[in-house]
Amino acid sequence: MKRSLTILGLLWFALLAAKADAQTLTADATAAFEDDVHASAGLTCVACHQDQATSGEQFQTPPRTAIAPMCATCHSDATYMNRFNPQVRVDQFLEYQTSTHGRQMAAGEARVATCTDCHGAHGVKRVADPRSPVFPLNVTLTCARCHGDAERMKLFGHTAAPPADWAASVHAAALLERGDTSAPTCATCHGSHGAVPPGVSSVANVCAQCHIREAELFRASPKRDIFEAIGQAECLACHNNHKIEQPADAWVGLEEGTVCALCHDETGDSAETIRAIRRDLDLLSATMAEADATITRAEQAGMLLDDGRTALRDAREHQVQSHVLVHGFAAPPFSERATAGIASAQRAQEAGDAALEELQARRRGLAIATLLILAFLVTLGLKIRRLSWNA
Amino acid sequence: MASDSGRRSILNWLLGLWGTGVCGAVLYPVTRYLAPPDLPEAASQSVSAGSAQALLPNTGRIVPFGSRPAIVVRTATGELRAFSATCTHLDCTVQYRPDLHRIWCACHNGEYDLNGRNVAGPPPRPLEAFDVNVKDDEIVIARSS
Amino acid sequence: MSQTTLRSWLDERLPLADLIQTLRHKTIPHHRHSAWYYFGGVTLFLFGIQVGTGALLLLYYRPSASEAYESVQFITARVPFGWLIRSIHAWAANLMVAGAFAHFFSVLFLHAYRRPRELTWMSGVLLLLLTLGFGFTGYLLPWNEVSFFATRVGTDIATGVPIVGDSLVRFMRGGDDVTGATLTRLFGFHVAILPAITTALVGLHLLLVQRHGMSVPPSVERRSVDDPTALRSMPFLPHFLLRDLFAWTAVLALMAALATFYPWELGTKADAFAPAPAGIRPEWYFLWAFETLKYVPPSIAGIDGESLAVVTMGLAALGVLLLPFLAGHTPKAHRLILWVGVATLGFMTLMTALSLAGTAP
Repeated sequence: MKRSLTILGLLWFALLAAKADAQTLTADATAAFEDDVHASAGLTCVACHQDQATSGEQFQTPPRTAIAPMCATCHSDATYMNRFNPQVRVDQFLEYQTSTHGRQMAAGEARVATCTDCHGAHGVKRVADPRSPVFPLNVTLTCARCHGDAERMKLFGHTAAPPADWAASVHAAALLERGDTSAPTCATCHGSHGAVPPGVSSVANVCAQCHIREAELFRASPKRDIFEAIGQAECLACHNNHKIEQPADAWVGLEEGTVCALCHDETGDSAETIRAIRRDLDLLSATMAEADATITRAEQAGMLLDDGRTALRDAREHQVQSHVLVHGFAAPPFSERATAGIASAQRAQEAGDAALEELQARRRGLAIATLLILAFLVTLGLKIRRLSWNA
Repeated sequence: MASDSGRRSILNWLLGLWGTGVCGAVLYPVTRYLAPPDLPEAASQSVSAGSAQALLPNTGRIVPFGSRPAIVVRTATGELRAFSATCTHLDCTVQYRPDLHRIWCACHNGEYDLNGRNVAGPPPRPLEAFDVNVKDDEIVIARSS
Repeated sequence: MSQTTLRSWLDERLPLADLIQTLRHKTIPHHRHSAWYYFGGVTLFLFGIQVGTGALLLLYYRPSASEAYESVQFITARVPFGWLIRSIHAWAANLMVAGAFAHFFSVLFLHAYRRPRELTWMSGVLLLLLTLGFGFTGYLLPWNEVSFFATRVGTDIATGVPIVGDSLVRFMRGGDDVTGATLTRLFGFHVAILPAITTALVGLHLLLVQRHGMSVPPSVERRSVDDPTALRSMPFLPHFLLRDLFAWTAVLALMAALATFYPWELGTKADAFAPAPAGIRPEWYFLWAFETLKYVPPSIAGIDGESLAVVTMGLAALGVLLLPFLAGHTPKAHRLILWVGVATLGFMTLMTALSLAGTAP
């Protein structure tokens, strides 16, 4: 009892700024429960606080290890849940029991997450509700409350790096800056109720859900067997697991600091391929940058360059696809695409050059017209002077 | 006096010469302007999308429409549909997948049905639909009014 | 047919001989201020340029909100020399307004409004207002962001007119706000209604100028009494005409250079639902009025400040129109007109400068 209260108190301070605190004060709990999905379903305090017969008295907080089984009495009962929402899943508790959180809790370690830590206790909202702590845009903050807390993580022998690492990733940028809810959060790779660190062999399957082309290419390439043999997770070897950053062309190469150099060196026939791929990537990027600069210069001088911009857009498409084809780790499919991209970029460059040339042509035309006009004006001036009109 | 009138006629001649030049410098651009350009109107409202006969059932074709790509699809039942080919997720160009009977985006595996609705993967919005008409075997797609 | 028989053929049918005879005898006064005489002709030349380039633009321009911007882009990018025609039209518009104002102020300062030139003056003032109207209506036609919001701001000023203000705004906008209906309406004004009225008034103005000849400033007249060389007579044909031609050709060269080195920008397409970008302002020739209204207090002696300012400007315009009947004829009166004119010009310049400084990026 006293231990529960101490832990609860610790949790309370840890979750102070969070949306899902336990609201141990009756007034707060009662107020929060007014906007709760359970309350809308007609449930009252005693549905969960079964130890008190009458309301109005201070309810005891259930022991943490008892919370999940208690929620499961309804949420695992398909017949019961069918009354409220026939589509809702009823396997959350089963999943939870397979998870690290669930297994620890079952062994008596109460300092891990249970239902109320993520979903809240008295103001539970639907997952699709933007105010819910497990709404896709909020879920990483919820996980980070514990997994970003270095003190807490040390107790279990973990670092608190993952949330901060993820926050520096392109997926975080997609989710939080662009509101792209298809971007993966903690739950996407780790699971929500069945949260476990994904197995080395299986995390790439999650990546493959969206990055299907890269996965297909990789699995058709020699790398797949090699990585399996050396126990490397496919995507993670080069792209990391949490801090997935924007890949750069400079990753490809044999110099220090490149990703390939982690395994490859100058020996072996792969060195030639690596260098060729890097060369093409650099050439494509440089040609595109040059074309863009030329086109921008022409546009600033007043020319309109739809064709140039379209060609540059095509080049960009080819570049995106070239980056995908890098995952084939071979010259043929990649180099064709890169070459097509370079050709488009060159077309864009030509359009830009043509526009600048047109500008020069206009000025030449103007020079001719001005010379004619000046010649005319000089001659006219002479004629005017000759004509005396003294009157 | 003779040299005087001589100078005057040279001056008049020069004036006539330069004057014609100036008139030419004015009339040349105006004449060129009056001749309609190869593409008689801005391709912003409608554009030709190639031969109708050459577009077989269950195939798609990408055509430029203004500065962005458009996709025209002939369904398995023979109907023509046209949409913007810019994926609503991250702007990649979509393509028609005959095996899926859907429009597909290679970048992140997004899918749209043949009404342009986003039905699988990341895309958050449907593809903009265009009007399709056929005139003498030429497919013409136009922005919906 | 030889030249003389062609001439006699035409002369039998058209009053050519009379016309040439009249022009042969026409003279232009030449004095220290006669350089200002060219400004009327330059303004007329620019009007001719506008009609010509405007007609050419009409061949490709589409006056609807969904196509106007694209058609101007088409002209600038795809039509051969479309860039030249369009930029000349835009530059010549500004030069014409400047020329009209220069012509107006020079006529004011040289007191050419005096009897018997009252009607010439009044038709000229109306022509100045029509020129401003051309500028205002034409500015919206490319349907870009800048012109859309400038039109909205400009038409807002009309709300300051008492009693008829709101109806006036609705009349100008074709509705309550600036929409495609405004574009169609202003287009109609720009290419049909205003040109029709302007052509009639220009015809009258030129007829009167021909009838009365060029006015000689009173100071020159006084000086010529003692010094005959102070006022001489230059024949129109060919001397003045050649000088006119010189001025017009120089303006042509200037316009070509401006169009080539400072092409008029396309801007971004107007979007009624986008917020107005910072620093929106009407065309430069309206800035002085725009800025003056900013300084007017919200209410003066219980009357709405903006209404009072707009009414004052209206009364001032009316005063300018009726100047020949209000102005005195003594040298003292002339000096007063001169100083009032200088003060007005100074005020307008100051307000324009302040406006430009205030809305500078």
